[in-house]
Amino acid sequence: MLSFLLLLFLNALLATVSAESDYHERLNLRPLPQSLLASFNFRSKEWASAFAQQNFRYFPRSLGQILQHAHTKELHLRFSVGRWDAENWGSRVFHGAREGGNGVELWAWIEAQNEEEAFSRWLTLVNSLSGLFCASLNFIDATRTIRPVMAFEPEGNHGNASNLHLLHGMLPHEVVCTENLTPFLKLLPCKGKAGISSLLDGHKFFDAAFQTMAIDVRPVCDKAHDDCYLEMEQTVDMVLDVDRSKRPQDNPIPRPLPIEEIECDLSKSYSGGDTCYPLKKQAEPAWTLKELFGRPLKGACPLSDEEPGSEPLCINVPPERTINISTTGPYKEARSAMDTIRCFHLPQLTEFDLVLPEQQMTTGLVRQQPQLFAARTINGHGQERGSAQSVITNPSTTDAVEFVYLESLPWFMKPYLHTLRAHVANSPENPVKETYYRPAVDRQRGTHLEIRMVIPPASTLTLTYDFEKAILRYTEYPPDANRGFDAAPAVIRILSPQQGDEKGSYIRTTPLLLPLPTPDFSMPYNVIILTSTVMALGFGNIFNLLVRRFVGADEVPAMGAGGLKGILAAKLVSLKAKLGKA
Amino acid sequence: MKFSPALLPLLAAPFAAAEHTSNWAVLVGTSRFWFNYRHLANVLSLYRTVKRLGIPDSQIILMLPDDMACNPRNAFPGTVYNNADRALDLYGDNIEVDYRGYEVTVENFIRLMTDRVPEDMPRSKRLMTDERSNILVYMTGHGGNEFLKFQDAEEISAYDLADAFGQMWEKKRYHEILFMIDTCQANTMYSKFYSPNILATGSSEIDQSSYSHHADSDVGVAVIDRYTYYNLEFLEDKVRDPTSKTTMGELFDSYDEDLMHSRPGIRYDLFDGGEDVARSRRILDFFGNVQNVEIDTGGQRNETQWKEELEAIERMIEEAKRRHNETLNVRPHAQHIVEEAEQMRTQQTIKEGAARVDEEADWKKQIIGAAALLGCAGIWAAGSLFESF
Repeated sequence: MLSFLLLLFLNALLATVSAESDYHERLNLRPLPQSLLASFNFRSKEWASAFAQQNFRYFPRSLGQILQHAHTKELHLRFSVGRWDAENWGSRVFHGAREGGNGVELWAWIEAQNEEEAFSRWLTLVNSLSGLFCASLNFIDATRTIRPVMAFEPEGNHGNASNLHLLHGMLPHEVVCTENLTPFLKLLPCKGKAGISSLLDGHKFFDAAFQTMAIDVRPVCDKAHDDCYLEMEQTVDMVLDVDRSKRPQDNPIPRPLPIEEIECDLSKSYSGGDTCYPLKKQAEPAWTLKELFGRPLKGACPLSDEEPGSEPLCINVPPERTINISTTGPYKEARSAMDTIRCFHLPQLTEFDLVLPEQQMTTGLVRQQPQLFAARTINGHGQERGSAQSVITNPSTTDAVEFVYLESLPWFMKPYLHTLRAHVANSPENPVKETYYRPAVDRQRGTHLEIRMVIPPASTLTLTYDFEKAILRYTEYPPDANRGFDAAPAVIRILSPQQGDEKGSYIRTTPLLLPLPTPDFSMPYNVIILTSTVMALGFGNIFNLLVRRFVGADEVPAMGAGGLKGILAAKLVSLKAKLGKA
Repeated sequence: MKFSPALLPLLAAPFAAAEHTSNWAVLVGTSRFWFNYRHLANVLSLYRTVKRLGIPDSQIILMLPDDMACNPRNAFPGTVYNNADRALDLYGDNIEVDYRGYEVTVENFIRLMTDRVPEDMPRSKRLMTDERSNILVYMTGHGGNEFLKFQDAEEISAYDLADAFGQMWEKKRYHEILFMIDTCQANTMYSKFYSPNILATGSSEIDQSSYSHHADSDVGVAVIDRYTYYNLEFLEDKVRDPTSKTTMGELFDSYDEDLMHSRPGIRYDLFDGGEDVARSRRILDFFGNVQNVEIDTGGQRNETQWKEELEAIERMIEEAKRRHNETLNVRPHAQHIVEEAEQMRTQQTIKEGAARVDEEADWKKQIIGAAALLGCAGIWAAGSLFESF
């Protein structure tokens, strides 16, 4: 009886602890054609009073102090590489709200009395974050900072604070690599040693077809507790190519399979014993977590809560898909009502693995169609000017889509606003509803263009504008100037019909590579050498004309020997003459 | 005095050594582009070595001018190898790069060394040394007679480097420096040094190239330079743990011209005590982390003195708290005035940000424009009419 009571008490204790638990993690797996989408989500919170007193529990102290120092109330930081293949993969994770443009993207709401103070705090913030995340965030200066008007809304509850300033910066050329993942993992309470974060290995992560790391900090007010807390959400989304990820890490170079192991398309006329047209695989590929991520899942993070509905590992597959579990510890499986989602409570301190065999499927999952497709390109030729074109398609046959299109262009790409054209094929109506524009100032700030547009159902909108390429100063070129210059991706925020939650739904285009006129960098030396030659020739001739007397060859008194010898001989003769006189 | 005689040598040890109390490493790669993979591998090899021997990430300044690990040309994503056997992944799982990409410039390097950095510079990007710090400075890249190229775009000259070290000595920013450089004509780079306590070594003499060791056919480029390779070989074989007593002299003696294909140089003359003292320095004085603790043996503290000091500290804390509270009581009024003044200023400043642009569908403005144009035409016509009279 006593033991039963004790158990009850323990249970009650556990329940209260879990209710109080401020850390939560979840990995969602979703198969995509021949690949796997893994989306990690880590959430921790800190009550406002504790945060103000710098009493951090799950919230990382290093980040918390930066936020306090820079008076940042809400922060969004993104590291992304790769392109989301919307045609094959469908709608984005979280409707794109936890995604960034290629490279690094940062936006924050900063508390300040005026614009200058906000900007100086912004500089403090980007510099501190650059040290924390080993990224060149300090390159976000005035030329790369904009103040979006419509494209971003605060996610947190800021009350009616009027002195919040939104600042936004992008670094499209920034490399994302292991040195960025290392500090990201160090912010987690389990630091990649246990829980789902133990799967995050740089070698596989940076081999993925698409990857994005996000950090979001926002204040949330809880009406029940009548208190506010600061919530930090860390998100990692990646699309792993199953075949590519299964290659061993020490030998990742693909080698051709022996022909016996390839399934050939025998319907081809040339198919024979030595020629083979490989058949595309239809079956779902076999994989295990350990194979795909390169390391095992080391059990649950003991700090995360264990309520039902907060299982740390979920997989979204049709019910017929076979999933075998490989673990020695106790685990629990929970199927959701839709039964296409299977979730698992992980054992602690023991490895856990999902083993999925190769399987021919009869049913598939319904893939959610994205609301818009967007592509952006640079057109034109030559070193002087060009034009940019964005093609945005609304696949829906019923709904018109209203969206905000945000461009933040570098100062050396100067658009002509009067050439801005937006038209929808087969529709006379102007899709542009509202435009915000801030022109660039050379070397001081970039262009900020924000347009609210409406695109009718099943139609394609084309937005074009011409721009001029600036000529940079010799010292302004980067070391790899001939590679071209990156223009940040355009951000598209879908206003209606609204999908998702208060985070909004976003699409980002790929960045543009802008070729600028680049000099031959050895040119100054050529100029110096040529100038010196001209100077020497001109100066030498004039000098000769001024100081020399030109006489005919026959007028020159006969000299026995020219040069030094002759001079010496002449001197000797004159000396002798002097001596003779004396 | 209840000190046992056995303890005395232990207490005396720090004074006998009376040397550095911290170790820092500045590891600089200076070449960009994929075909210079080996230079980044050189730097990362040194990074792994100093980390292995105990210098923490916070005291290592790592400068990598290009990204090799996540380069699209790298068949081994997230890795950098310094050997074709690919036994050790230098990039690993835990790496902190302090300056990377375009940040690796001559200016940033000299600012780092002399601590002339902007106010907002984070701690991880600063060299916070003092007169008791030993610094290992390792540089590699492409160079020539008295210069080293940075990113194929600019150069640092031997004079710049010598002046930077000179300034560091004046500012008491180092105790001893070990300067290592692996580049063509490397020995010319330290020839202009003039500040004391620098032990310098380089891979090759003037007019000599510094060669790569071997290539990995799957990586596709050379993976390490000879000078660095043989240094590492020595460090890995002879300096196995953080208690090693191996000296710098032994390292220098291991240099073999036939293996390196160039004549490595060593400069002792700046070092206090000259060649003998420099050669007797332990390798770990520069590559390892020694945190000497000085034990204050001067005064014998007794219990009462200890308590008195504690009480004094407590009184100071009380006093500070009282003053803090006083200021809290006083402040609101003053702050209010400041806030009002600032609000006045806010109203005056123009709001930065994008302005709304509307397309002119308004007829009024077009009529005004047309009228203005017509007016101009009329004045011109009248003018020419008068002129014709």
